[in-house]
Amino acid sequence: MTAVADIAGNTIKKDVIAIRSVDDAQQADDSVKRLLHQTLNVETAVQIALLNNRGLQATYNELALAETDLVQESLPPNPTFSISRIAGGGAVEIERQVVGDILALATLPFRSEIARQRFRQAQLRAALETLRLASDVRRSYYRAVAANELVGLLTDAKSTAEATAKLASKLGETGSLNKLDQAREQVFYAETTADLASMRQEASSSREGLARLLGLWGGGLTFRLPKALPALPRRPSALPLIEVDAVTHRIDLQIARIELDALAKSLNLTEASRFVTLLDVAGIAKTTRDPDGSRFRERGFDIQFQIPIFDGGEVRVRQAFETYNQAFNRLTEKAVNVRSEARDAYRVYRSTYEIAGQYQREVLPLRKIITEEMQLRFSSMQIDVFALLTEARQRIASLRAGIQAKREFWMAQSDLQTAVNGGGSGDMQKESRPTTTAQAGSGGGH
Amino acid sequence: MLSRRGFLGTAALVSASAVSGRVQAANIPEAPIMDKVTMQPPLHPTSGPDYRPVVTLNGWSLPWRMNGDWKEFHLVAEPVVREFAEGMKAYLWGYNGQSPGPTVEAVEGDKVRIFVTNKLPEHTTVHWHGVILPSGMDGVGGLSQPHIKPGKTFVYEFEMKHSGTFMYHPHSDEMVQMAMGMMGMIVVHPRDPAFRPVDRDFVFIMSTYDIDPGTYLPKVNEMTDFNMWTFNSRVFPGIDPLPVRLGDRVRVRVGNLTMTNHPIHLHGHNFAVSCTDGGWVPESAQWPEVTIDVPVGAVRAFDFTADNPGDWAFHCHKSHHTMNAMGHDMRNMIGVSKQDLAKAVGKLAPDAMVMGSTGMAMGEMEMPAPDNTLPMMTGSGQFGPIEMGGMFTVMKIREGMGRDDYSDPGPYKFPKGTVAYEVDAPAAEPARQDGGKDKDGAPKMKSMKGMKGMKMKGM
Repeated sequence: MTAVADIAGNTIKKDVIAIRSVDDAQQADDSVKRLLHQTLNVETAVQIALLNNRGLQATYNELALAETDLVQESLPPNPTFSISRIAGGGAVEIERQVVGDILALATLPFRSEIARQRFRQAQLRAALETLRLASDVRRSYYRAVAANELVGLLTDAKSTAEATAKLASKLGETGSLNKLDQAREQVFYAETTADLASMRQEASSSREGLARLLGLWGGGLTFRLPKALPALPRRPSALPLIEVDAVTHRIDLQIARIELDALAKSLNLTEASRFVTLLDVAGIAKTTRDPDGSRFRERGFDIQFQIPIFDGGEVRVRQAFETYNQAFNRLTEKAVNVRSEARDAYRVYRSTYEIAGQYQREVLPLRKIITEEMQLRFSSMQIDVFALLTEARQRIASLRAGIQAKREFWMAQSDLQTAVNGGGSGDMQKESRPTTTAQAGSGGGH
Repeated sequence: MLSRRGFLGTAALVSASAVSGRVQAANIPEAPIMDKVTMQPPLHPTSGPDYRPVVTLNGWSLPWRMNGDWKEFHLVAEPVVREFAEGMKAYLWGYNGQSPGPTVEAVEGDKVRIFVTNKLPEHTTVHWHGVILPSGMDGVGGLSQPHIKPGKTFVYEFEMKHSGTFMYHPHSDEMVQMAMGMMGMIVVHPRDPAFRPVDRDFVFIMSTYDIDPGTYLPKVNEMTDFNMWTFNSRVFPGIDPLPVRLGDRVRVRVGNLTMTNHPIHLHGHNFAVSCTDGGWVPESAQWPEVTIDVPVGAVRAFDFTADNPGDWAFHCHKSHHTMNAMGHDMRNMIGVSKQDLAKAVGKLAPDAMVMGSTGMAMGEMEMPAPDNTLPMMTGSGQFGPIEMGGMFTVMKIREGMGRDDYSDPGPYKFPKGTVAYEVDAPAAEPARQDGGKDKDGAPKMKSMKGMKGMKMKGM
């Protein structure tokens, strides 16, 4: 667990805990409660999930199971004791044997090393799950907050539309607006109302999605989300070494590398033991009592081994060899993919920043100017009140696109983190599947 | 007033009298320039035959020099910036620093030589509208002379055979150049000072522009939807008043180079049209008027005796023409409560001002407006907002003004008991002849099928 905690601490600066005792549970619960007191930001949301998501705890349990395997593989093989007593016609023959699996003993350092690597791999896998959860939480968080912001915008839009729809209806009564124009002015209200309803629904669904990842239920569901996405950073990060970073940091790549190491070791093992698969050395102490009562002892030893005459161990060696090559190629492919993913994620990050920035720096200020100028024109009786409404509609559309662009940026920022550290869902997760399959297939290698 | 560099004293030009016929470039007189937009005092002649000069509303008369028996003027066609009223400037084309150009004054029988220098980015000519002259001096580009290319100077020489009121304007890319403000008035005084003399003689030209709020250049392709209706390229409250001494004989000469007619109306007096651009109207043919329609491309001068003291509105009677820039595609908000309107507008545009629910009257409000835009209706008098713009000014007739005093005498001091006043009346419905039974004429839109407000669900 320490390794997982280290990775979580170093890459995403979060605490993780494998809940093993009542105290642990209490501690995690306290932290979560404390974090829930404030309005969640993306960091506190991730922290809550890491402490509170039960699926993650299940992954940590698997890690603990891997640890027990390690312990088992690190111990020398148990010797076998046998005692046989043969009696008949007054003669008694007692034979005691201590049989040790010499080969198992001889390969103990090898095996325990492999097991240690397997365990290391399990640790990394647990870390990967941790990062994946963090990544999912970030995406889910931004989705939910953006939905909140859009709900706020559309709520304002609806009340604007309502006021003008009422005005249109009033103008119908005074005789200034015909049915056609009344309907035209009122349709915005109707559409905005529908829009708002669907946006509210999206906000509530995305909030539920986040609640699931945070492992919240009952009283925890009252968690507070901000009304708006955070502002864009002043400038985007320049990451010239993004590929190197990704290749160094990606947990899934590290797992594949360890996998390859383990396979290499197991290949050596297979080579070393190809002609002798099982070597039992038995120490034999034999006590014989003749019917005449005299007894004598015999000592000696007995070695039994299996010689693979028919397959020569060739099959196992080739299996191991091909499995190794497969894993090697998978690793290479993965490294190439990781580089590409990192580049792509960075480009997406930059371009979403530019797009969102374009809205913040250009589109929305220009919309503001347009609104102000339209107000001036309205005030000086150059334009009709409904021209303001037309402009308001366009402004709302721009604001909406601006919020969506900001959401895309924060998503891309989160994906960039994931591309460097690993733990991506979707595509990136699928990418790691073939290696998992290869590993499953390599089971016969040792 | 006149810029010193521009105006050469006529006395200094005696040596030029040797020149006759075609002139030499070195002898081209300097062109006087005007940089003020207010009405300049009349330019009394210092040489040549005497006459009683006109006063150009928000303008000036072009100084000239005698060269032998020729009166020499110099017009420079050039881009200018004209202030329509405080708070709005237009980028126009004009003459000698102003649009419209200065009034050219001469006397019947004068031989005039008018130099025209083109400082515009395109060719031009000047047509002397209404003046009877040789065909080759008529200034129609291509027809009667080559166009005057940018940077070139042409000279027009002709005799002012008839007295009267005329105009000048380009006849070369005319649509653009007139829409850009190139025009001016010509007044030819009778040689006989006793011919229908007046004490005060005002002259101005009407022009219209379409300048979008917040812009500076007129749209030259506009035909009908103008938003700036001007007397001498000024709009109320930027138009000077017409100060008149009580009892003076007054003449007002109005030229129209807009694309529509303007019924010009003077309060408090009746008058008779004395002159058009075709010449003097015989007194026997005149009939009394209080409004005279000035057709497109025409001049009307009317005479009257200012025998009724006071502040008298003087304006075009097309009511949109006494407004500044305004939108035309507007709903009528009459009948909607100010609160309803304010609520809707407040949501749409929190900083906007709400008007129009009882009418458009808004003279008292200081309205925020786009850059370089005048309020649609504005100006104020001693009793409050005047709510006018465009082609509107005031003729101020006062006792005891100086003969050549054209300064603004201020608001009229109404003699006691001569101003309309409020009486005590019950606040209730005024008594009606029919006893108030028939109310069907009142707005009953609510009950009219198909006209009533549509019901919205959830509202």
